[in-house]
This record gives sequence, C-alpha cells and structure tokens, in this order.
Amino acid sequence: MESGKTRILLADDHALVRRGLRLILDGEPDLEVVAEAGDGAEALELSGRGDVDLAILDIAMPRMTGLQAAREMSRRAPDVRILMLSMYDNEQYFFEALKAGASGYVLKSVADRDLVEACRAAMRGEPFLYAGAVTALIRDYLQRKRQNDRLPDSILTPREEEIVKLIAEGHSSKEIAQTLVISVKTVDRHRANILQKLGMRDRLDLTRFAIRAGLVEP
Amino acid sequence: MPAIVDRHPAQPRGDSRAGGTPATALFWRLFGLNTMVFVAGAGVLVLTPATVSAQTAIREVVVLATLLVAMLVVNAMLLRRSLRPLDGLSALMERVDLLRPGERLAVRGAGDVSHLVRTFNEMLDRLEAERGESSAQMLAAQEGERKRIAQELHDEIGQSLTAVLLSLKRTVDRAPEDLRDELRSVQELIRGSLDEVRQVARRLRPGVLDDLGLHSAMSALATDFTEASNVTITRRVDPHLPELGKDSELVLYRIAQESLTNIARHAGASQVELSLTREPEGVVLRIIDDGRGLDGAAEGAGIRGMRERAILIGAHLTLGPGPTGGTEVRLTIPDRTRRG
Repeated sequence: MESGKTRILLADDHALVRRGLRLILDGEPDLEVVAEAGDGAEALELSGRGDVDLAILDIAMPRMTGLQAAREMSRRAPDVRILMLSMYDNEQYFFEALKAGASGYVLKSVADRDLVEACRAAMRGEPFLYAGAVTALIRDYLQRKRQNDRLPDSILTPREEEIVKLIAEGHSSKEIAQTLVISVKTVDRHRANILQKLGMRDRLDLTRFAIRAGLVEP
Repeated sequence: MPAIVDRHPAQPRGDSRAGGTPATALFWRLFGLNTMVFVAGAGVLVLTPATVSAQTAIREVVVLATLLVAMLVVNAMLLRRSLRPLDGLSALMERVDLLRPGERLAVRGAGDVSHLVRTFNEMLDRLEAERGESSAQMLAAQEGERKRIAQELHDEIGQSLTAVLLSLKRTVDRAPEDLRDELRSVQELIRGSLDEVRQVARRLRPGVLDDLGLHSAMSALATDFTEASNVTITRRVDPHLPELGKDSELVLYRIAQESLTNIARHAGASQVELSLTREPEGVVLRIIDDGRGLDGAAEGAGIRGMRERAILIGAHLTLGPGPTGGTEVRLTIPDRTRRG
C-alpha cells in the first residue's frame, strides 16, 4: 500500500464474481483488493474506513444498489474514486452512473479485458467509457451536427472524422484498426483525442454533454 | 331478427312483475296488435252483411281472401314498425368489439324494445368491465413472470457466466502458447452467451424503467431502435410530466416499444418522431413515422395487445394516418383527477 498500490474496495453480491474480479486485480502489480462487500450498504460502510482509493461497485446489488451507494459515497467520501460494474449495455445506466459520481463504467461481459485499464484510468482522473457509450455519444454528436444544432464546428482531423464515422456505425476498435490498417492502440489514441476535442474530457464534461444533449435528465 | 326475439324469453329468470321484462312487454304488444287486427276483421264480418253460405260461393271466397290479405298487410306493417329498433341492435351486435369500448345504442322512448336496447347496453358495460379486469390480471401475471425470468437470467446465469469469464482470464494468461488460442475462442463464446442472456433479459423486462424511470426508458428505447433499424428518431419527452404511476408507465413503455417494433418491421420509414407531452386532455404519447402507413392492413396480435393495455389504464389509443402520410399512433392518458 505504501508502495503506491491502488487500494480497492470490491462490491458485488455474487461471491464467485467477486472472487474472479479479485484474482484479476490482485494479479496486477499496482492494484490490490483491500476490502470486499456483498451489498451496497456494506460497501458504503467500508468506504468510510479511509484506506480505500477506489471502489468498484456492481450496479445491481441488494439492500442498496450500486448507484445509490455511489451517490452516498461521493458525498461522504469524496476522495474515493468509483467504478461501476454493470451487466447493462445501455448508456442510460452509464450516464446515471456518471451523475452518481462514478468515473467509469465497465461492462461485465468485457470486465476481464477492460477492468484493469478502467482502474488505472480512474486513478489518473480520466473517465473510462465502454465502447457502446462512446458509440452512443458520437452518434448523438453526428446527429446534432447534421441538424446544425448549436455545436462548435468540427475541429477534428480528416482521420479523426473517419474514425468518428466508423465508431458511430458501431465498429469495434479492432475492426476500425483493420479497416484503416493501423494498430488498435492508435485507434484508441484517436478515440481519446476525439472525445477530448468534443469537450468530453472528464466525467463532468461528459455529464454536462449528456444533459445538454438530452440524453439524460439533469 | 326473429332469433333475438325467440331467444330473449330465456333471460328474465324469476322476474314475476307483469310486463316488467322486455319479453312479456313485447309479447303483450304483439298480442295486442294481432288482437286489434282480428277484432277489426271480426267486426267487418259482424257489422257488414257479408255472410258465408254452407256451400261457399266464389264471390264469398274473393271477399274473404281480400279481407285476409288486408288484415295480413296491416298486421305486417304494424309489426314491422314496432320491431324496427331491433335492426340497430343486431347491427351493433355484429359490430361490437370489446377492444374498442364505449360504443352504445341510443335509447329512444320507454317502450319494450328500448328496454331491450338498454339491457343490451348494460350487458356491454358489464362485459367490458369483466374483460378489462381479466386482461388486467393476465397482463399483470405476464409482466410479473417476465420480470422474474429476467431477474433470474441476470442474477443467476449472467453472474455465473461472468464468474466463468473472469476465472478464464487468469487461465488464459498462464496457459502455454499452443493452448492460448483455443482458450481465447472459448472466452469469446462465453462472452457471446453473456451478451445474449443480457439481451433476452432486456427484451423481457425494461430494467431501465424500473431502475431509472420513464424518461431514461424512453431514451433507451429510442437509442435501441436507431441502433437496430438505422432509422433516425427524434425524441421529445417533456421533463415535467405528472406522476403517472407504475402501471401507466409500463403501458406507455410497452406501447411505444410495440409501435417502434412495428415501424422497424413493416413501415419502411426513414424518420420517426416520438413524443411524450402534457396536453390539456392528459399525457399524450405520439409516435409518427413517414412510412407506408396502415393502408387497411389487418390488425395483428401486436396492435391488439396495445389496445388491451390501453384499456387497462383507461387510456385512449388511436392508430391512423400521420399528418404527412405514414402512421400516427396516439395514446392519451387522461388526467388522474378527471378519471376519478
């Protein structure tokens, strides 16, 4: 812990899922699970102990849902970063999670791939968006642009425009990389740049954008 | 028409008030009419010098026949007039559809036939109420069952698959090179199953509606629709809707869902407008597309389901051509205060 490891609180009502997550997280040199909770209320209690840097909350838990716990947690322990773990591939939940104070949203079906990266992004203070959320945001952006809706003129490079289009069509980073004959890493870097240029750099920007775009209620 | 009259006497069981039931009243009226005609015929025989000899003369037969024909014609005319309202009744019986409630015959006068019409109207009231109740129970049971299955899919199968996927990750990382590809494809297979489970659960039950409310649920519907059909949808949801209650929200959601499904399947539309607004007459859900339109197509199970759901919450559903062609589905939920 003193060596700069990120101390993680893990909350999921399914013990086997918790175990699987813990194995993955503990396998990384910079991450360490220091507490586990089986429901939202317990997670909230544990987050107040002061030895947690990051809370990973399942969105659907008994006694107190992940969203409720996140809301309370960001009020009571604002230093604790929050990641939401969810079964729902639905940007409404994603925006709701952002509003509740989470800095990232990880889909369970790709948790084995994304979780570690999401933890690191959260600790760097960057939002972590799952692919579907990026698609939703970009698609909305394009629709607004088509309707000439009060959005600043595009400052994207032609390459970025190309990628925006492919993302909006629902292609994964891997497919985009293959189409454009570039590496997945480059696609991801473009993706991050695009979001930044569109004013969706961090959690608050994203939330603001979503509210303005009517994607979520204020 | 005679069938109605014939069948009717079976109805008023144990009602002993004389003339109190339409059947007895109708009986007395017909009986009276016939009596009148016969008395008139007999009168003619008594008061005129007409006689019938033991051996009937041709002239007498002609007179009798004329008299008989006159009696029959008068009788027929009188009967016809007094039974005419039954025509309207039988037309309504053929037309009546419990999915479009509220259609009734106007009751004119206080006679026996209007009594019949009134009784029929009351029967429709009762049938509609009973049907409403039983379909409410059926839909509630169906929604409950769907919710339970969706939850189990999520909480049991979904979680187990997630656990498998997570454990597999460690295995893949430590596996020898030659096994890794094989394990990866297993991983993707499980990921695919997990996605399917999630999708099935989502179709079964709008979790968004339960968890995040109507506004989010409508947005999610619109997004899903665009993703699945590539049709642009303009969404306008009034942020200050009155409290509708769980049942009405679910009905709204299901009707919007069904309408969008229909549009994606049949309409061939390029633009859809979905709005949920507050109007003087209540909360109005409107889904307008610029597609092919209904064009007299038969109403399938989907639309029937929409009607049943609308009846359930006392809402009014209309389907018709939109303002610029295509189809407009409009659901009006009257204000709670007015509904009582």
